[in-house]
Amino acid sequence: MKAITKVARDEWRFWHRTKLAATIIVIGTILTIASAVINTIKMQEAMHERQHLQQSSEAQFLDQPDRHPHRMVHYGHYVFRTPSTLSIIEPGVDAFTGTAVFLEGHRQNSAMFAEQRQASGMTRFSSLTPSFLLQVLVPLFIILIGYGSVTREKEAGTINIMVTQGFNVWYLILGKYIALVACALLMLLPLIVAAIWATFNGESALITSSFVSGYIFYILVWSGIVLAVSTLSSKNSTSFASLVAIWIMLCILIPRIGSSSAAALAPTAGKLEADFSVLEELRKLGDGHNATDPAFEQLKKNLLVKYNVDSVEDLPINFRGTVAQYSEEKLTIVLNQFAEKRMIEELSQAKIARQLGWLTPTTALRSFSMTVSGTSLETHHRFLREAEQLRYDFVQSLNNAHQNILSYQADINRHKDNAAARVSADNWQVLSSFSFKPDTAQTRLTRSLVYGGQLLFWLVVVLVVLRFAVRRVR
Amino acid sequence: MQEEIIAASSLCVRLNNQTILDNVNFNVAKGEIFALLGGNGAGKSTTLKTLLGIVPPSEGSAAVMNKSVKTDIDFIRSKVAYLPESVMLYGHLTGVENIEYFLSLADITCSESDIERALVRVALQEKAWRQPMSNYSKGMRQKAAIALALLRDAPILFLDEPTSGLDPNAIDEFNQLIATLAAEGTTVFMVTHDVYGACQIAHRIGLLDHGKVVGMFERGDQSHINTEEVHSAFSKRNKR
Amino acid sequence: MSLFSNLHRETKFLAKQRNLQLLFATIFVLSCFAVWSGISETTSQITTIERLIEKDTIDREGVLAKQSDYGSAAYYSFHLTYSSPSNMAFAAIGQRDIYPWKHRIRMLAIEGQIYETDADNPELSFLGRFDFAFLVSVLLPLFVILLLHDIRSVEREAGRYDLLVTTSKRQQRLWFSRAIVMCSALSIALILPFIAGALYTQASLATTGLMLLVVLGHITIWMTLTLTFTASKAAVKQSSAKIASMLLAVWLAVAVLVPVISNIAIEKMVTSPKGGDILLTQREAVNDAWDLPYSATWDEFLSTHPQWKNGIDMGPTFEWKWYYAFQQVGDQKASKLSNAYREATLKKDKLASHFAWLSPPMLTQRLMSSIAQTDTYAAMRYEQNIRNYHKELREFYYPLFFTENTFNLDKMSELPKFSDHKEKSKG
Repeated sequence: MKAITKVARDEWRFWHRTKLAATIIVIGTILTIASAVINTIKMQEAMHERQHLQQSSEAQFLDQPDRHPHRMVHYGHYVFRTPSTLSIIEPGVDAFTGTAVFLEGHRQNSAMFAEQRQASGMTRFSSLTPSFLLQVLVPLFIILIGYGSVTREKEAGTINIMVTQGFNVWYLILGKYIALVACALLMLLPLIVAAIWATFNGESALITSSFVSGYIFYILVWSGIVLAVSTLSSKNSTSFASLVAIWIMLCILIPRIGSSSAAALAPTAGKLEADFSVLEELRKLGDGHNATDPAFEQLKKNLLVKYNVDSVEDLPINFRGTVAQYSEEKLTIVLNQFAEKRMIEELSQAKIARQLGWLTPTTALRSFSMTVSGTSLETHHRFLREAEQLRYDFVQSLNNAHQNILSYQADINRHKDNAAARVSADNWQVLSSFSFKPDTAQTRLTRSLVYGGQLLFWLVVVLVVLRFAVRRVR
Repeated sequence: MQEEIIAASSLCVRLNNQTILDNVNFNVAKGEIFALLGGNGAGKSTTLKTLLGIVPPSEGSAAVMNKSVKTDIDFIRSKVAYLPESVMLYGHLTGVENIEYFLSLADITCSESDIERALVRVALQEKAWRQPMSNYSKGMRQKAAIALALLRDAPILFLDEPTSGLDPNAIDEFNQLIATLAAEGTTVFMVTHDVYGACQIAHRIGLLDHGKVVGMFERGDQSHINTEEVHSAFSKRNKR
Repeated sequence: MSLFSNLHRETKFLAKQRNLQLLFATIFVLSCFAVWSGISETTSQITTIERLIEKDTIDREGVLAKQSDYGSAAYYSFHLTYSSPSNMAFAAIGQRDIYPWKHRIRMLAIEGQIYETDADNPELSFLGRFDFAFLVSVLLPLFVILLLHDIRSVEREAGRYDLLVTTSKRQQRLWFSRAIVMCSALSIALILPFIAGALYTQASLATTGLMLLVVLGHITIWMTLTLTFTASKAAVKQSSAKIASMLLAVWLAVAVLVPVISNIAIEKMVTSPKGGDILLTQREAVNDAWDLPYSATWDEFLSTHPQWKNGIDMGPTFEWKWYYAFQQVGDQKASKLSNAYREATLKKDKLASHFAWLSPPMLTQRLMSSIAQTDTYAAMRYEQNIRNYHKELREFYYPLFFTENTFNLDKMSELPKFSDHKEKSKG
């Protein structure tokens, strides 16, 4: 043990004396701190802005004057997705999905105004998010610091001296590994601070600690890769060139190849194309605005029988409201069926891309980080589902008011006497307030299990390779 | 007096505020084997590099065939064949391919049979000719490099520690070859720290110490320079 | 000695280096993959558009046949608009994965519809696509650095440097021709799949040529930079790895930091209305109209369409012309915000094009997607196309609403057709 710490301390001294490594650590740490601060501010602003928009949207809805209830169905409502606490480190798909959905009757709108759509287009490759820095750049920094760990000793011939003196090579490698990991952990400090902050801001401690552990695993993996390659190489320059090539492959190429392959292997029809089928289905249901549509003949008959009357005028309820409610229900079933199908397709596409986590630790960590922090596609889908639930509830409540409060006579004469065909604004209270929360800690952790497994797999692979490399030295 | 091929006069070289060569003077005549002898850090390699135009002189002048290293380095390099201390050619190329490559760098085209003749002359075993150079021993690499120098047909040969790391047989073969070349009119300039080797081969030895030429020894009528004499001068200098 | 014979010698020399061949083969395979995935993406977009056109026509004809007045015909019929990928789009998917390239619109207020997107899978967009433009703009500098950083230092470290320099007649030519040969091999590995792709998609000679110029220009920039740096005093005493580290730092600065910082600067420099505000304004205007006196709508409507001032008298029941008039008014009320929003997007794009001069990778990326017409500007042009088409629809329907009254299905065959206008000079 003493030997190991001795080696580690010696390595630190070397980095301290050769300014290059020290410079990289400083630059890396400053970059991560800067990005964490900037991103925290940005996400806090976004959170407050969206919360504020949510409240004002609700207030606006409630402030509407007395109206025909169906006007309110079309007036609609906005819901906003507030970012999850950990999005200060891992914004995930936030910038690429719309963050607001307009809810109205008879339609499921898609989320609108994705940030990237109005961005300068400069951040398609890189972004100043801590997650990009930690997932893509920190491995490069570890390479720059550690490529010569063992090759340096080889070039100077010192490793031969150690081996012939009977010094265990494992101690040497372990010492250097600990030194390199410690060095990389420095760049992880801002993440740890941010995670602690997130814990105090209501994120479960289980989530934040798993989140940090994922990144620590990643650093263990990369430090291992760097050390293994350095041990297997005979010269500094070959070790360096191989590591940079590996970095390009694992951090930049494979993740993108994954997303391109997923798009090519499991193409989705797109919402527009699915809409044709949706519309076709919906036309069979009849137009809920038109109570005389033959599609509602059966409904009419049933009601007439039920209330034992001869015409819709004699019904105790507003038949137009009943039709609106009935058709909304049928329509929502169809819409949800297609929406679910689309979400499943999207998710299976994303999952193909995530499978590449077995080929690169970067994708493994990215999937892990997104699912744990609640910024993955699943969370966005959950937002869409919750928004849909809210939409259905308030639309049906309004339709209920339409059926039970507004009289049929006033309703059919609404164009002649607009003022009579209204209900009191008190009925707008049916809108329940919306505040989006990501999935529970348990759900997110269960979801991330396989990606955590990928990271673990990588750690095992790296340790096996390291073992092989050490054997080669002896 | 014979034709003067290499001349250094009042040559000074300073690098990073350190004086490496301090007022060095010598000249080498055509067909002569001249050895610059010195310990580690005496300035031997710097002298060689100055003559090759790799390090610029700070003061004084260095000239080869009456052309200054400052102005006509391309001409000088075309006349000089240089044999570095440890010859490292491209490991992934064979001996013949390496020679071809370097010759074409010097803008010389040689037929394969020319190359083979040169390899015979330096006594490189034939089975190695078409093997990757990474399999060569140090002596074999040296031989390939000499073959290259021969093929360049250069009137001047620069040698840097030519016999270090060679076994005694190889050294004998090498010395013989150099002597033959000199007899044919090639001027040989070598730097070395090997007192015995220098005395064996050189016509004249300049003793270099801390950037200064501190002694000059000639063979005169003997078959070689008196080793004892040079050795005592060398060790006296190096003890201080 | 001629430069040609130098190149010839170095080509022969290069041909014997196994590890370099492996690198070039890898790059060739990557380029093939990039081109393949680009072609697969654009082909699927083209076939999707073809399918959509067909379905759209059938769908509309079916809907129109059931209508009995022009108002309902306009209300229930959708119209497909699209922006088909240019022949060059396979090389640079550009912004096509975040901006929509297909849209179905109705006669309702355009502001309420145009922000709907049928965008790609956000998680895939987030991971980023691997297209030819990415290979050329981001990875190519890394390849050049990997190839050339040790052009001199590897010879120094192997002890061959002095021998090479003293043997070679003109040493600058040696390094130069080595760099040229390696970069040519790199270019060939990159470009061959691209040319095959361009032939396959029948891209015009001019755009293919422009694309190649950009690729070669970017290679030249990095070759010059790397060669200059390796020849500089700063690099003389450094090891290969240190030289490469410094070059990587340059790459990091221009490929990562400059874009990120420019983005922050651009966000600060351009203020844009919130997209949500446009929708809100439009929604308030349209919904309020139901409860306002008719005159409120007509005043606003006639201010832009005075020619219909004699057609505004209303009957006792709901009238479509009034409905579409307040849709129009909704657009008019939101138009100021909406214009500002689009101007902001264009301004950001414009600023980005200036900032891109600081970053060769960004510049390359932008040039390539501009040649392929997949940039923000092209997306904005498509949006304008939609707006123009929507305007044509209005111009077609208004006379029907305000003058004729009996529905005639034959009239519907005169509906304006959407055409995918592209800039003629490109594509």
